[in-house]
Amino acid sequence: MARVGIEPRPLRLADAALAAWIAILAGVTVYGAATTTGFLTVSNMKAILTAASFVGIIAVGLTVIVLSGNLFSLALGQTAAISAMVFLYSLRWGLAAAILLTLVLGLAIGAAQGFVVGAWGANPIIVTIGAAGLMEGMAVWLSHGQSIVPPVDQTSWEHLANPVLGLPAPVYVFIVVTVLLAVVMARTRFGRQIYLLGENRVAARAAALPITLLTVGAFGIASLYTAGSGVLIGATSANASLLLVGSYTYDAIAAALVGGNAVTGGRGSIARTAAGAIFIATISDMLLLRGYSTGAQILVRGIIVVVVVVLTNLRERSR
Amino acid sequence: MSRPETRRRRPGGAELAPYAILAIMIVALVLVPVVTQYTVRTANIYDIFQNFASYGLVALALGITIIAGEFDLSVSSMYLFGGMVAVLSGASSPVLGIAAALGAAIAVGVVQGGLIAGFRLNSMPVTLGGYLVVLGITYILGHNKSVLYDNYTVGLRLDEPILQIFSIRSLVSLGIFVVAALVLRYLRVGRDLRAIGGDRRAARVAGVRVDRLLIGVFVVSALGAALPGALLSYSLATASPTNIGFDVLTFSATAALIGGVSLSGGKGGAVGIAAGVLSLSVLQEILAILRSPDYVSSLITGGLLVVVTIVWAPNLSEWFRTARVLRPAEERT
Repeated sequence: MARVGIEPRPLRLADAALAAWIAILAGVTVYGAATTTGFLTVSNMKAILTAASFVGIIAVGLTVIVLSGNLFSLALGQTAAISAMVFLYSLRWGLAAAILLTLVLGLAIGAAQGFVVGAWGANPIIVTIGAAGLMEGMAVWLSHGQSIVPPVDQTSWEHLANPVLGLPAPVYVFIVVTVLLAVVMARTRFGRQIYLLGENRVAARAAALPITLLTVGAFGIASLYTAGSGVLIGATSANASLLLVGSYTYDAIAAALVGGNAVTGGRGSIARTAAGAIFIATISDMLLLRGYSTGAQILVRGIIVVVVVVLTNLRERSR
Repeated sequence: MSRPETRRRRPGGAELAPYAILAIMIVALVLVPVVTQYTVRTANIYDIFQNFASYGLVALALGITIIAGEFDLSVSSMYLFGGMVAVLSGASSPVLGIAAALGAAIAVGVVQGGLIAGFRLNSMPVTLGGYLVVLGITYILGHNKSVLYDNYTVGLRLDEPILQIFSIRSLVSLGIFVVAALVLRYLRVGRDLRAIGGDRRAARVAGVRVDRLLIGVFVVSALGAALPGALLSYSLATASPTNIGFDVLTFSATAALIGGVSLSGGKGGAVGIAAGVLSLSVLQEILAILRSPDYVSSLITGGLLVVVTIVWAPNLSEWFRTARVLRPAEERT
């Protein structure tokens, strides 16, 4: 009864601010699209989608961690890079074996981090920073600091980078794995339990949810998806080293945050992250075409992240 | 970052752990000549303090944010930013360059701390955005490449050995550590800092000006990253926007945690953090003497960070106790 009466004012304010922000972004994007030479071409759209795919696959996987209330992982770039290295190296045993081995390794790396976080309550950020250091050290150790190239007699991997019906293969993979994960998160018990865990950890504990298992699952899926992206990155660049770490970690987190997922967990969706990944790829592409430097691209990404984090939080709090 | 419902009290021995680790590292350093034919010289001690000068203050800054129950991911780009601003604006006067770097750092700290305190935001995503913004600005300032500092005598002066083992750079860091230790131990602000990290609501009720203190924490954190970054750039006579990834962050987080700063907030001090930084610096020097490749250092630091995080994990002992009676760890809280 009193609910209508105390309808909080910030709700309208926060919603208006969010709407205004989306309008600004949409306006800038449309203006940019109309005035940037070479933006509205089929080949550029393909370039945007391709760029969005590599980051997007990692980002949708990461979303499970975000939704589970474990913030994010800072080891994704390293996971992608070593996955690309493992994939190209193990091609000597055949394509299927290489893909399988890379995915299993990715899953195991993530599951181990998830176990430490879920079972023992270790801080996810610090654990993943440590894991990233370990992975970098091992990658240099095992590769002797050299970049990995596919065996000369193997060409089967090229299909993973080649266009199919006009679009590069990674785009299809991005779409398929996004839909798959969206269904898992929306329709399965695992998905609902992840949402509950992120929304209210105390309640999840009281309801005797398998918190350790869920956390292992969240980190496992994120790492599995990252390994999948690593396979595609390796196939596309045909040369893998730690240089591939690049900015994948930040770009994936930025995509999840820009999509408007609540950082504290429990609220958000896979689709939001996919949209965030495509949006960031679009903006980056536009800045690149207009001749802006790397610095400007990073700066714009950072500003968008900060504003979205503030607005998402205002909205969440006024619920 | 704190999870109040799972917070546990540490056993008292944990307070001595940082010094025990430092002692082990020093013993290892002394034992190096036994294994190899190398004799440890004063130059090695000088190197250890130089390393302390390069990263110590970042660990102190990060440690203070963790004690306050927050975290600052932007320290790694702030480190580069400090160097870039100092080199660009310090062409005529190095002091002016340092002042400009510190001024810019204060501005960034006020914005980050203001957002986090004002909107009660989680500091991880905000400082992640801050990391990107500061990194972007560093790239723009340097036009995407390294910038040389012509006044290279400044670097020579800063690194000139004093009493064989110190330099201006390391004495500055050590001096700031002494001041920080005294402030955190004896002034009210130190107690308030641990209070907002331990139990923020109680601190607020008890009259601690939480918001002002939080802004201060993020200003200190930005300063603690920008100052050593600026000094290092003078020392190397160059500033680079290149994303060196998490090297600075990994080192400083590991040092702070080895130094007894608790990830659940409210615990830790400058002396412990100094011991943590010295431990890692001695370790780096041992690896350098043994001529180990760089990856060994990555492996050890990464491994240490994971181990120390697990040791600090709130549910670890609980898990082992319940695992023994075959009960799921979640059942007891």
